[in-house]
Amino acid sequence: MTSQQMPEGAVPPVILEVQDVVKLYGGKGNLTKALNGISFAVAAGEFVGIMGASGSGKTTLLNCISTIDTATSGRILIGGSDITSMKQSDLSRFRRESLGFIFQDFNLLDTLTGYENIALALTILRRSPREIDRRVKAVAAVLGISQVLKKFPYQMSGGQRQRVASARAIVTEPTLVLADEPTGALDSKSAKELLENFQSLVRQRAATILMVTHDAFSASHCDRILFIRDGQLFHQVVRGGSSRKSFFDQIMQVISLLGGDANDVD
Amino acid sequence: MMSIELALRNVRKNLREYTVYFLTLTFGVCVFYSFNAIESQQAIMGASASNGRVFKEFTQIIGIVSVFVSIILGLLILYANRFLIRRRKKEFGVYLTLGMNRGQISRILIGETVLVGLFSLAAGLALGVSLSQGMAVLTAKLMKVPVERLQFVFSAQSLIKTVVYFGVVFGLLLVFNAFMISRQKLIDLLYADRRSEWFKTPKLAQSVVVFVISLVCLGWAYGTVLTGGTAKVLDSASLRYVILAGVVGTFLFFFSLSGFLLKVFQQTKSVYLKGLNAFVLRQLSSKINTAYVSITMVCLMLFVSICTLCAGLGLSTSISQELRRGTPFDATFSTAARSNQAEGSYSGVDLPAALAQIGLPLGSVASQSLVVRYYEAGLTVPLMVRENGFEQRHEAKTYLLKLSDYNAVLRLMGQAPIALSPGHYAINYAVANAAMKRATQEYVDSRPTIAVNGVTLSAGPDTFHDNVMEVLQNQDYKMTLVVPDHLVTGLAPARDALHLNYLDPKDRSESLVQQAHPLLRAELKVDVSLWTRQEVEAFGNSTSVLVAYVAIYLGIVFLIASAAVLAIGQLSEMSDSLSRYGALRKIGVEDKMLNRSIFAQVLVYFGLPMALAAVHSVIGVAIAEQVVSAFDKGSVLGSSLFTAAVLLIVYGGYFLATYQGGKAMLRRQYAQSRRGVD
Ligand SMILES: Nc1ncnc2c1ncn2[C@@H]1O[C@H](COP(=O)(O)OP(=O)(O)OP(=O)(O)O)[C@@H](O)[C@H]1O
Ligand SMILES: [Mg+2]
Repeated sequence: MTSQQMPEGAVPPVILEVQDVVKLYGGKGNLTKALNGISFAVAAGEFVGIMGASGSGKTTLLNCISTIDTATSGRILIGGSDITSMKQSDLSRFRRESLGFIFQDFNLLDTLTGYENIALALTILRRSPREIDRRVKAVAAVLGISQVLKKFPYQMSGGQRQRVASARAIVTEPTLVLADEPTGALDSKSAKELLENFQSLVRQRAATILMVTHDAFSASHCDRILFIRDGQLFHQVVRGGSSRKSFFDQIMQVISLLGGDANDVD
Repeated sequence: MMSIELALRNVRKNLREYTVYFLTLTFGVCVFYSFNAIESQQAIMGASASNGRVFKEFTQIIGIVSVFVSIILGLLILYANRFLIRRRKKEFGVYLTLGMNRGQISRILIGETVLVGLFSLAAGLALGVSLSQGMAVLTAKLMKVPVERLQFVFSAQSLIKTVVYFGVVFGLLLVFNAFMISRQKLIDLLYADRRSEWFKTPKLAQSVVVFVISLVCLGWAYGTVLTGGTAKVLDSASLRYVILAGVVGTFLFFFSLSGFLLKVFQQTKSVYLKGLNAFVLRQLSSKINTAYVSITMVCLMLFVSICTLCAGLGLSTSISQELRRGTPFDATFSTAARSNQAEGSYSGVDLPAALAQIGLPLGSVASQSLVVRYYEAGLTVPLMVRENGFEQRHEAKTYLLKLSDYNAVLRLMGQAPIALSPGHYAINYAVANAAMKRATQEYVDSRPTIAVNGVTLSAGPDTFHDNVMEVLQNQDYKMTLVVPDHLVTGLAPARDALHLNYLDPKDRSESLVQQAHPLLRAELKVDVSLWTRQEVEAFGNSTSVLVAYVAIYLGIVFLIASAAVLAIGQLSEMSDSLSRYGALRKIGVEDKMLNRSIFAQVLVYFGLPMALAAVHSVIGVAIAEQVVSAFDKGSVLGSSLFTAAVLLIVYGGYFLATYQGGKAMLRRQYAQSRRGVD
């Protein structure tokens, strides 16, 4: 169940390694096993999707990887270093410098404009104002949000907010982008654009993306899909050389199986 | 009773939010009790007659001031309460949707209010009672009265008064809260934390124009005071325009400041796009943008507080110095017609003989003595007194004094005698009021002639003296016309004075003289008054202590009020912003950086009104110096230092409490967001 299945002929180095991670919530009375001994590895430059029913532990997994939350047990290695034993200040630095996070609930600052929200990721890295300005404008152009940079989040549509959040996550060109349902609030056209952005980010800048999604169409843009059930890795599908369409069908197949008896698969 | 349990749990759960509220109430109660309990401090001092009288006055004045103070504290409590309610609206909305009725919610709220009220009342009284012990010793020291017996100082009267006053405030609070809950719509309660378009930044042009107007207002007010000289400002009617311009300028300053500052910093990209600066500036500007009214109020309250402390303490020092002026000798007996006697009936008395008659020959108490007689000539001197923009004619009643008597008094005081060239007079008027003094000088400068006993006298070059020539407490010094000796012959005596310097031991002489006073009054059929140096000094000390205490009382209450308003505002803002700090942390901002951003916000938020208030106060104290005629320059420094110390402790204390409270909120939120099992 927890054995690692690397894509065939994988040469690139492993950037993320999750080893037997357990996360417990609650007290003695009502214990929730949000993650129940999950293990997998992600190679550099991979675009990995995570799917699973609501409450299966996807957000928890991302939170543990992003060091926003700490795992109860197990090890998480990013770029070879074990983040479960890092110091608090190192963790913050790691988040600032190497991670981009797109949250399920955006987490934009309502007091800041779109521009300032995106710039924030760079200002806390103490970049020069000129570089900040250039990068923010570039990423905004790519994501099609140049017109909303002066607006406050409450003045934006849900999709625009989502794209601003995405821009903030990728503007620092992080080695690992964690995205929790980034297409959840987008119409299919903007979802497609965002996903294509992600794909080009992977191809051109060799970024690694881990994206949670509920929707098979979004998932079909990935290189590999991990299916999670009850806090454990349940199955995975690799795109390999197949077209997006056939990958989509493959994913749909697993989803329908997931709805039935789990033991039939595997 | 379920409500009581819930109330207790709620208070415990919201303890941090209640901290500043609780502290403020406790301080308020403590200060209120301590100052109202001043009369009880007498218990540790020797009950001398003059002290008793002073303490009575103390209590009366503090009582009047306390009404005012309780209104301020009441408003403050209402304000704090409003914030607590606002924070809890959503919770109440949830209770309502769960099927609780408004009556039950009101009961929960009443329970909480009563609980916090009782706690803080008890804590404040306990603190006040302990403070009273130390204050009693301090009072005795300041009044220069010996501490006779150290004992527990407690005032049941003040306790009851405190409980009643704060009880009334809490009663009002309960009514107010119940009213609030009954009027709220469920939807408003549930979505109370939804903020809408609060972050609209005002137009730059508009901000700049208003900002410039505010600077013009303040500049004009300052300029009028500084260039015109405070005396001129006070004498003309422009004082009220100066005050109006000051208030309006202050308001507009804070009204436009956020937009203005934000724009200025946004232009400076190297500052704005550095670390969390953009975030901090946005936080501050949205805060100031919505709270400029309360910030203006705080600034003005701080101004009043600083001026009260500074001027009050300065006044207190100058009072005791002024009163000390009135003690050129150890004692003065003086006799005049009784108020029920006809004016011409006084024919003079021989005071040394009368004293010998009652068994106190002068030689037994006095090392030096001097008898002086004042004569009635039916003279008044017209003075034009200009004060506070009004001009008033004052007829100063004048008595005559022989030159030889005047010089004898001067000699007894250790001063050089004066010479009167023939045909001249001199005026001695010990009046302390600056305006009266100016008027007298102007009168003398006009070189008027005065007819005495049929002879016309003119003013010489050195005509006006202001020597205090007797021991007198109330400073009601009369004008005296010093004339050549021969001119008084045939005039009716108006009063006689006997000045004494005591034989050692002085305390023995003092008590003998005091004992002689009622006997002398019975012996002579005229009005006999006695003032001694010891009495006047004791009165001076205690009066200056009274003034200082009233100033400190008011100053501290204003200070607590303004600091608490800021602290409550900032903490509630902080708790509204917690999700923002959460988001910042998630994108990798370190705790150190977050704490620094909180510090910066609290610092600016506390610093801005204080900075403007401090500038105002420099002007305010300058005006106060003028109002208090005999304001002692040297004492300004001392009282300024004291004021600075009080500010540092109270304001600084609230500042720290706010910063720590903000940090604690952040920590708690962090802990809550990751309360997994490890
Ligand atoms: N802070 C928390 N305290 C207690 N339980 C939690 C906490 N966060 C998550 N859980 C529980 O852990 C489990 C996994 O939650 P998680 O948020 O990871 O689900 P998810 O897969 O992201 O679901 P969704 O698709 O709805 O976002 C759920 O049962 C949830 O109730
Ligand atoms: Mg989730």
